Formats: sequence, C-alpha cells, structure tokens
Amino acid sequence: MARVAQGIKSLFLLEFIAAFWLSMRYFFKPKAPVNYPFEKGPLSPRFRGEHVLRRYPNGEERCIACKLCEAVCPAQAIVIEAGPRRNDGTRRTTRYDIDMTKCIYCGLCQEACPVEAIVEGPNFEYATETHEELLYDKQRLLDNGDRWEREIAKNIELDAPYR
Amino acid sequence: MVDYFWSTIWPWIIWTPILKTIQSLAFIVPLLILIAYIIYADRKIWAAVQLRRGPNVVGPWGLLQSFADMAKFLFKEPIIPSGSNKVLFLLAPLIAAFVTIAVWAVIPIGSGWPAAEGTSWVVANINVGILYVLAISSLEVYAIIIGGWASNSKYPFLSALRSAGQMISYEVSIGFVIVTVLLLVGSLNMTDIVLAQQTGLANWLGVPSLTILNWFWLPLFPMFIVFFISALAETNRPPFDLPEAESELVAGFMVEYSSSLYMLFMLGEYLAVTFMCAMITILFLGGWLPPADIAIFNWIPGIFWFMAKLWMVFFMFAMVKAFVPRYRYDQLMRLGWKVFLPLSLFMVVAVASVLHFFDLAP
Amino acid sequence: MPKLIIDGAEIDVEDGLTLLQACEQAGREIPRFCYHERLSIAGNCRMCLVEVKGMPKLAASCALGVSDLRPGPEGQPPEILTTSPLVQKARSGTMEFLLINHPLDCPICDQGGECDLQDQADAFGVGSSRYDENKRAVENRNISPLIKTIMTRCISCTRCVRFMTEIAGVEELGQIGRGEDAEITTYLNKGMLSELSGNVVDICPVGALTHRPFAFTARPWEMKKTESIDVMDAQGAHIRIDTRGGNVLRILPRESDDINEEWITDKTRFVCDGLKNQRLDTPYIKENGKLRPATWAQAFEAIAKRMNNVDGKRFAAIAGDLAAVEEVFALKALSDQLGSPNTDCRTQNCSLSLDGGRAGYLFNTTIAGLDKADVILLIGTDPRREAAVMNARIRRGVSSGQTRVGLVGAPVDLSYDHDYLGAGPQTLVDILEGKHAFSEVLKEASNPLLIVGEGAISRSDGRAVLALAGRLANDFAMVREEDGWNGFNILHTAAGRVGAMDVGFLPGEGGLDTNGILEASEAGNVEIVYLLGADEIEVERLSKSFVIYQGSHGDKGAAIADVIWPGAAYSEKTATYVNFEGRPQMTMRAVFPPGEAREDWTIIRALSQTLGKTLPYDNAMELRQKIYELAPQLAAIGAVKNQEMASLRALSHEAIRIQPTPFSLAIDDFYQTNPVTRASVIMTEMSTLKQEMNAGKAAAHSKGMVTHG
Repeated sequence: MARVAQGIKSLFLLEFIAAFWLSMRYFFKPKAPVNYPFEKGPLSPRFRGEHVLRRYPNGEERCIACKLCEAVCPAQAIVIEAGPRRNDGTRRTTRYDIDMTKCIYCGLCQEACPVEAIVEGPNFEYATETHEELLYDKQRLLDNGDRWEREIAKNIELDAPYR
Repeated sequence: MVDYFWSTIWPWIIWTPILKTIQSLAFIVPLLILIAYIIYADRKIWAAVQLRRGPNVVGPWGLLQSFADMAKFLFKEPIIPSGSNKVLFLLAPLIAAFVTIAVWAVIPIGSGWPAAEGTSWVVANINVGILYVLAISSLEVYAIIIGGWASNSKYPFLSALRSAGQMISYEVSIGFVIVTVLLLVGSLNMTDIVLAQQTGLANWLGVPSLTILNWFWLPLFPMFIVFFISALAETNRPPFDLPEAESELVAGFMVEYSSSLYMLFMLGEYLAVTFMCAMITILFLGGWLPPADIAIFNWIPGIFWFMAKLWMVFFMFAMVKAFVPRYRYDQLMRLGWKVFLPLSLFMVVAVASVLHFFDLAP
Repeated sequence: MPKLIIDGAEIDVEDGLTLLQACEQAGREIPRFCYHERLSIAGNCRMCLVEVKGMPKLAASCALGVSDLRPGPEGQPPEILTTSPLVQKARSGTMEFLLINHPLDCPICDQGGECDLQDQADAFGVGSSRYDENKRAVENRNISPLIKTIMTRCISCTRCVRFMTEIAGVEELGQIGRGEDAEITTYLNKGMLSELSGNVVDICPVGALTHRPFAFTARPWEMKKTESIDVMDAQGAHIRIDTRGGNVLRILPRESDDINEEWITDKTRFVCDGLKNQRLDTPYIKENGKLRPATWAQAFEAIAKRMNNVDGKRFAAIAGDLAAVEEVFALKALSDQLGSPNTDCRTQNCSLSLDGGRAGYLFNTTIAGLDKADVILLIGTDPRREAAVMNARIRRGVSSGQTRVGLVGAPVDLSYDHDYLGAGPQTLVDILEGKHAFSEVLKEASNPLLIVGEGAISRSDGRAVLALAGRLANDFAMVREEDGWNGFNILHTAAGRVGAMDVGFLPGEGGLDTNGILEASEAGNVEIVYLLGADEIEVERLSKSFVIYQGSHGDKGAAIADVIWPGAAYSEKTATYVNFEGRPQMTMRAVFPPGEAREDWTIIRALSQTLGKTLPYDNAMELRQKIYELAPQLAAIGAVKNQEMASLRALSHEAIRIQPTPFSLAIDDFYQTNPVTRASVIMTEMSTLKQEMNAGKAAAHSKGMVTHG
C-alpha cells in the first residue's frame, strides 16, 4: 500500500509540487540582504573597523608612545618608534605604522591604549587597489582620526557605561 | 546547360552561403543575448528563493552582469596546466560551444510569414530535424570527456567518467520519449511536430478554442515529465549536476579551466539548457502556437508564444535547481535505468498500440 | 649558625646575615625597594616586612640580623612567616602608601616594563587606591646630561644617594626635606659628574632616574639582549648590549662578582651612540690626495700593487687599543709571512715586555684579590680614570678601614682617603731604600700590593721604573710563593693590549717598536704601515709611508690612511679580549657591522690571500685553535689563573737609571680614550662639560642647567 502511495506521489510529483509551492512563497518574500552600497546595516558602537589615531580637542595628538598596543598586538601589525618631541621633550611617536593587511581587527590595541589614542573606528570601507596603500603610517592614522572623530567620540560615549 | 549554370546554379553557389551566414548570425546573436539573460535569470531566481538579491550592481537591477562577466573572462589569462594535453584541452570547450550552438539550427521559433502551411522561422528546415538533434547533442558528451581527460587531473577525470555514464543513460530514455512524440506526429521535421499540435485532444473533448489542450503535454503527460527530468540530467543541471558536484569534485571537469575557455564551457552548458527548454516547448508545449484560439492571442506573433513557453520551462529548470537536493550517483542511475527506461518503453508500446488499434496513426 | 624556621621549613644560616638574606636562602622572595645587596641598609621602604613569631609587630627583614632573633620559650628556633595574611596585608598597605604619591604615568615612563614598583604593585598591591587628595609633585632636577630625572616618581628609597656616597665616593646626591617635602637633589644644584653616575639608573627601582640619551626610544621587551664584554677600559666589564633592528640602543652591566660586581662606568654605558657615528662602512682608497669609496676588490688590488716587491723589513704593523686577539694574531702571522719583525701593540710606548713572563704585564692580584689587600701603593696611575669600577672596589676597602692607599704620581682625587707620597720615581727609590715613612707601612702590611700605571712606564726610563716596582714587590714581600699572594700589578688602559702581548704582537728580532716605526717612517725606512685600529699614536709622523688603516671609526688613523678597510666595532664581532688580570673573555656579536664592514680577522685573512701568503685558517674556530696552540691560557674563557711568580725577578735586574720628572697620567680625559668615545656625541659633551667644570665655569653652567631643566 505504501509503495502504491509512493508510486502515485512520484507519478503526480506531489512532493515536487509542494516544494515548488514552498519555494514560490520564498520567491516573493522580502529579501534579507541590505542593498549594500546604497543602504547599510546598523553598526554597534563597539564595531572594530579601520584604525584611527585620535587627538585631544585642542588638537594635540593623544598617543604617548607607550608601545602597549605594539606589545599586545597578536599579529605584530604595529610598529612604533618613539622619542622626545622637539619642542617640549614629551614622549611622542616618531613613527606609528599599522600594517592593515596583518591586522586581525581583534581590538586589543584599543583595549591596551591608556589614552584612547588608537581606536578602531566605524569605517570599514577602505578597500584599496594595492597592498602598499594599506600600510598605514602615522599621518594617515591621524587624518583618519580627524575624519572620524565625531562618530568615534559618540561611540565611546555610548559604550562608556559598559566599560 | 551553361546558361542554366550561370543563371541558376552560380547564384545559388554564391548567395546561399552568404544568405545562410546572415541568417545564422541573425539567429546566433539574439540567441547569445538570450543566453546572457538566461544566466542572469538563473542567478536571480535561485537568489530569490534563497532570500538573496542576486546580481544587482552592474547596470540597472544588475541586468548587465552577464556582459561584465564575459568581459572579465575574456580579459583573464587562460591557464593551461603544464601536464595537460594542450590540443585536446583547448579543443574541449570549443566542442562544447560549437555543438550546442549548431544544434539550434533546426529549432523553429515562429510560424512562417505569411502563415503558410508547413513553414516556420528556422535556419534549416530539414526533414530529419529530430535525428540531427540527437546526433549533434550526443556529441556534447565528448566535450566533457575530452576536457576531463585532457586536464590530466583527478577530479576532472572522475567527473568526465560520471558525466559520460549519466548522459548516455538519459539519452536512452530521451530517445524513447521522442519516439512517442514521433508516433503521434509521423514526421521527423521539427516544424511538422509543432504544427501537428494544432489539433488534438481539445477538439476531441469539444473545446476547440482551448488549444492548450491540443499540445502533446496532456496526451503524453508521463512522457512530458520524464523528458523534463531527463533534460535536467542530460544538461547536468541540478539536481543531477554530478559532473560538476562542487562539494565532491570541486568543479568537476572544469577544475583546470579558466578565463575564456571556462566561459565557453559555461556558454555551452547554458546553450544546452536553453536548447532543452526549446525542445520541451516544441515537443510538448506546441512551439509557437497560442494557448487559446482567441483573436488577440492569434494576433500576437508566434515567436512571443515560443519565448514565453521557453522562459516558463526555464523558470522550472531554475526552480528545480533551487529546491531539489542533488541526487547520489546510484540514485541517478536507478532513476534512469530502472524507472525511466521501463516507463518510456512501456509508453512507446502503449502509444503505438492505441494508435494502431484505434487507427489514429497519421 | 643560627637556626630559623621560615614558612615552616627549618634552615641553618650564617651568622651576620640579615633576615631578608636568610629568607632568600630559604627560597622565599621578599619584595623590597630600598634594600640593595651592595649598598648599606636603609630600611625606609617598609616593603620587606615579615612576621616573626613572638614579635608584637612586623619586622623589616632587611634591617634585622638573624642573630638578633630570639629563640622561643622552649628554645625552639625563631619562626618567620613571609606569606601570612598579615604580611600580605602589610605589603599591600605599603604598596598603597607608596602609590599615593607615585604618578600613574607608566605608559610614558621609560622604566615601564622593567620597573620594580610596577612589578611589585602587580604582585602585592591592591587594584585601587582610596586616596583622592592631591598628589605630590616635585620639580625635576637637571643633574646630569646622562641622567634624566622625573622626581615626582621618586619613592625616596635613597638607593641613589647611598650609591653615590658609598660606591662612587662622591657625595653628589642627597635627600633634603622631611615628609612630603623630602626630595633627592644634588647639593647646591651642582651636576652629577662621577664616572660611575650612570649606575643610579640601574639601581633606581622606579623611573625617577632614567637613561637620558636612551629616553623613550625603546621598551625593554622589544630589544634583543646580547651578553658581551666591554672594551672601553682594560677591565673587561661584563655588559649586556640591548639592540633593536641593528642599532645598539643601550648598554647595561651584568653581574660579575670578580670583575665589575654590577657597576659599569659612564663611558661603557653611554658610548653606544658612538657605535653609529663616523663609522667606516666601505673601503676607501686615496687617489690624488683624496679618499674615495671603493670596493673590497679594488682596495685589495691597490694594496697588492703597492706591496709587490716591498721588502718585509720595510713593512710595519701597529695594533691599536681596541684590537681583539683574533685580528692581532692574524696580523702577526701575516707580518711573519712577509718577513717583518716590526710589530707593536704598545701604542703608548710603555716599557712592558715579555721579560718578566706573563706576570710581568698583568694585574696579578686580580680585581677580586683587592678585597684582601691592606696596603696599596699606586704608582703613576689614577685608577679612577683608568679603571673606575675597580677604583670603587679599592674605595670599599679603604672606607671599611681595611686598606691603606699610598699614591706616587700626579696628585689626583681618588674619591677616598690616601697618602700622597710623591710625584716621581725618586719617591719610589726612597721607599725602596726605607727612607720614606711609607716603607714602614708596607713592611708591616700583611697583603701589600702595588699598582703600576701606564703613565709611570710610558717614559724613557720606563724599564727602570718597572724594575723599581719589581724590587719593591720583592723587598716588601708583595710576591710570595708560599701563600700565592702576588701584589705586583700593571694597570693597563687598553682592552686589546694584554691580548696582543699574549700572542706576542711585539717587535721581533731586530724589529722596531711603535716609536721606532714612527721614526723610521719619517726617515723613509718603513714603506708600508698597517694600522690595526691604532689611533692613539702620532699618526702625522707616518705621512711619508703608505698607510693601511683598518678600523671601525673614521678617526685620526683613517684621516692619514692611503687605504681604509672598514672593520667591526666590539658590539659587532665575536672576539676575544683579555683584561688586565689576564682573563680572556669573549664579546658576542649583538648587531652586524654596517655596510661593507667585516669582522677584522677576515679582512686580514683575505688580504693574505691576495698577497699570495694565505693564512691557514678559514673560519673563526680554526683561527682560535691556532691562537690556543700559541697561547693556551686564552682557551680558558672567563678564567684567570695564577701566574708564574719567579719570572718576575727578571724585571728587577734592570739597572735603576731614573729621571726626576714626575709621573704623568696615562689618561688625561676619561671620556675620550678611543675612537668610539670620540665618535660619541654624548662622550664629547661630557668631556667638554668636565673641562668647563674644571676650568671654574662650573657654577655658571650648573645654574644654566637648572633653568632649562
């Protein structure tokens, strides 16, 4: 009996039609992905995107060359050279390089930073055509900081209660 | 005699190739553009069932995606493996593309103008159309076997073996399904097959204006299904895409292919798929005939109906890809040899018997 | 032998130890800040508190002697707990107090990563502070160009004060004020110019005193550490060279009880910028009176052309002060091959020879042996400049009252009390003849010794002075076969000299010494002079000869050279140096030589091949094998063995014909003794500063220092 039922099912493609019906329902459902370059999903304040070096509101760079980010970086993507700043002798970086192609975006650098200088900002759209363009130097990072400061400050403020 | 040569034979020798070339080009170029959108539709339909968007960046709604892909394939470097048989390696995709284009020569896509009896839009309206189709399309398996063997690599070779078995198995039942159709038509000419569907069950049932019932899909219903499924298998479409089988054989016989060579394979594959859609349209869905004998429908050119039916069949092809899981190889073989072959053999006998005893044979 | 129970384990310790030392012997680690093994006990940081059963309060273990502990009521040994909850609470309390005023600026502090306070706060402190008043801030003092001060970080352990007073022997640092106002400062805002001042950076447990030239350049964890040997003086201090990416960033001392304890001189420590400046990094050839860079092949070709058909006798070689045994040996072998007896390593023309055996040119007592000395006679030397760390050891003997020091020579500040006996060799004659009061002192001494400086023997009557010293040693029982005491000491100033003498880099049969080579060159009798890093000679006198200079720095020798070969500095080669005790030691390569520069012996080996007189060794191991065949004592790296004493008598046979001129000093300027120091900006600055101070400008300068500090 069961074989007969199975035969009839097969002959009249009942399962096939059920599956077809199911897929047609899905066919007309709203689509899940956002239409990326034209619309974007929401980002958490903790999102870890492109790195920036921040400045204080008075324009002074925050980084004090403590090298904790360099030390903690599991991918060894950060290279820092430090020295006394020319005008006041304070401890500053003379070189701050991040190899964005080595970076694994773990966020340990911003965790380690005592002055919230290195921060992984909300920007994730920085694809380049060459590898070299992803070897960021200090100027590039500071420029990023200037560009994203408003968003980053807001994110830090939003995340502050949970830290 | 000499006059006859100069007045009749010579113009024929001169003009026929030119005419046929223009005719072929006029056919092939729209066909290739059709293929571009078939591929696009395939991706879009599959994506839609999976709640994705599919290609949507190149051109409005991604309509130019296939052309972008083509440009990309053309500008990439063809990598020929050092261990491969270079001549055969290059030959295989050419066979695939050539054969699948050539087979379109006998496909009629619309009624003749004026709609005279026995004419249609077709490049070569030959009386052995079906035979030609069977002959040419069975060459397709060579492309896959040669490609798989010439790559000198494990997966392509396994894939080629699988593919050979699969295509031969299903060609048998396809052949018998076509035989049932031929029994009803009494001609191997593709145009005749379509025209044979102008009358039939609808008249017999007393609803002559519902011409959709005249088409062979209804009297030969099981064969229609068998042919559809066999067509999937014959063209290596999911759920019978065992030669490609990404999860087992990475990309089957195409593993070692890249750039324009790969594109030729893909082109061949989709040409074959579209051809099978056209075959189903012609054999079972009445070709360019309108679905009902209504004035408006009759005014619409036959090519529209042909394309509409072709797209509908392709939509089913794409949907099947979206919702049927891939068959195991033994299941594929079981289906081909133990279900479809007996079934189609039985139907050949049954149809022949009915035609004979009720004296309905044309 | 008092018996103690420390954390339940019974242990016997020596009498006279402190409780902290006893705990360490028992394997318990006691945190401390103010306590330092080589300094006096202050007991002011309170970090080393331990619980002694029966005592009402916790005891500062560093200041409590084990013999002061009382046994229990039944005579059971005193019981000490080092990890009890009470002790732990006390430690975290102490930490909290210390951190009240210590700034939390570890990220910008150079001590970060190697800071005692950081480590101990991590290990024993609590995570937070309950202090929310204003922190104390202290003005920084500009105490030295070498030492950076951030006095707010000071936890008043007074290690630096004790070091400067007790070890360096100059009371330049002190603590003034009480309570919150207590601060470390130099007296009257003077600078800190002791030659051992850099050591306060090492002993400072926090980042209050840091290495100024090194400021902010690197963290301790990112540097490669190479254990090596210092060559700035002949003492051969054990050092650690910290490098990063091919640059020597700093030099730190290693502990070595027999040589430098754990101190090094400022010259050793701060010379590292000299390893980068003025380096010779490619061969040079002089063409038309001008040097031009060349390839090795061209330089070799130039030499080969020039040396072709030159008689061996017209070839001379002088080994400089920093030349290691390997290259000296190779150069000697090459000279022998060329048939030249004109080789000398005594760039200061001192009268040392192999006559007295090896003991005749070594510091036989050894540095560690100084601890046993009770009378020291210094002859024409200022150990403070020539071997400053050793001088600190003499000072320790003097300040403990064990040692008495007499000085013959230029009157210098030795940093400890001493008897000034006279200026020249005549005083020695007087002592020898018993006419001098110091003769009595020497006679009564049980372990007397004399130290002859190079200043005393680098004179025309040098051999006579040496003979005088030999007779003094003989007559006052300074050399005693019976108990092995050897009080005859030569104090070398050049790291390479003892090694060069060990492999016989001295004039051969009929050969010329340094002075002779210079004279012969002026007279045109020597055609080719090979200077192996020899800059401390009057190179101008070589202008008539074809000079090959091989060395690491573009210094005096390179200036007059016709061909220059770039060699490796001591941080860039693995080489043997023998210190003035006769102790062979190996430097380790910390970085690679710059540019085209090569290890020195390989250059000589390559030259020998070009000249068709290939030296029979292809690698350093084979070369050292050959050296050890000639001088087996060099095979025992790091060991110094007692020398044959009898041979010393040979020195005394020389007739005493002395000149009345007073002894001069071998080193005028402590900071400028070799090419590396002259290339170092810091050393040059220090030298200038010291001269200014001596010239009386000190007051004005130090005022200036404070204002811009």
